[in-house]
Amino acid sequence: MAASYKCARCKQRVEIDVNVRCPFCGHRILFKERGAGIKELKAQ
Amino acid sequence: MRIECQHRDEHSCRFVLSGALPSFANSVRRAMAAEVPKLAIDSVGIYDNTSGLYDEMLAHRLGLVPLRTEEGTYVPIRECTCEGQGCDRCTVSYTLSVEGPGMVWSRDLIPNDPEAAPASGDIPIVKLEKGQKVVIEARAILSTGKEHAKWQPTTVCGYKNYPRVSIDAHCDGCGACVDACPRRVLHLVGRKVEVDGERLEDCSLCRLCDKACLATGIGENSAILVGSEPDRFIFTVESDGAIPAPEILRQSISIIRARGEELSRALSEIAEG
Repeated sequence: MAASYKCARCKQRVEIDVNVRCPFCGHRILFKERGAGIKELKAQ
Repeated sequence: MRIECQHRDEHSCRFVLSGALPSFANSVRRAMAAEVPKLAIDSVGIYDNTSGLYDEMLAHRLGLVPLRTEEGTYVPIRECTCEGQGCDRCTVSYTLSVEGPGMVWSRDLIPNDPEAAPASGDIPIVKLEKGQKVVIEARAILSTGKEHAKWQPTTVCGYKNYPRVSIDAHCDGCGACVDACPRRVLHLVGRKVEVDGERLEDCSLCRLCDKACLATGIGENSAILVGSEPDRFIFTVESDGAIPAPEILRQSISIIRARGEELSRALSEIAEG
């Protein structure tokens, strides 16, 4: 499953296929979205 | 064996243990630091974290928050009938949900048992900017300092031998030792040096008085004899707030007693064959 990204400029949801570039505004900085699940960690 | 308490309140305790071997004094110290059980957050479920700290860092910081622990309220998870699943007898759950801007404090941890709330609400966990958010669920279990330092109920826990300072008859009362002592244990009475009884326990056995006395050219032997009593110890214990300091001492003594009884039972079983 492709990871979901968010454009740093236009805040649109983006999926990376070939180029790392926002298809809506052309910006090249994308943030990886946090997964939907709960992250379980040991507190140490 | 005797214990004389000099100072005690919820946070700290100072007492003198006399008539004990150094090995016993050390076992009391070790029992207080590493054998008295307390609650601490062990596992964390992170729903959302857009703060500046990594999830792991946040979980680690939550683990170090001291939680109030009443003796006998919870059982260690290994001894629980739930077999490590986590139930009301062995686990306390906390929720933390804060949105920025502002600081996330330990008081934002909401426990399912109000008796097991954080010992202090003023511990900063993470600072959030506008729009940042932290949503966390945490579970605390009972364990001891042997497993991890977050389960240690003491912050300061140490002892020193009771100091013994005496002034020899050939003291000329020059006062060099009085000026040299950083703890002000000595004072001049007329032309005579005397030990201040109230401050004697502050002596750190640094022997600066001894050196100052020899430096005056008094001769081969200094006029001050600094030593310590081998069977008397001054203990200082400070609690992190999870368990009151005198209670830590009481619990550590019962742990040592239980251990001793277990050893004696095992030995008598061996002797009986």
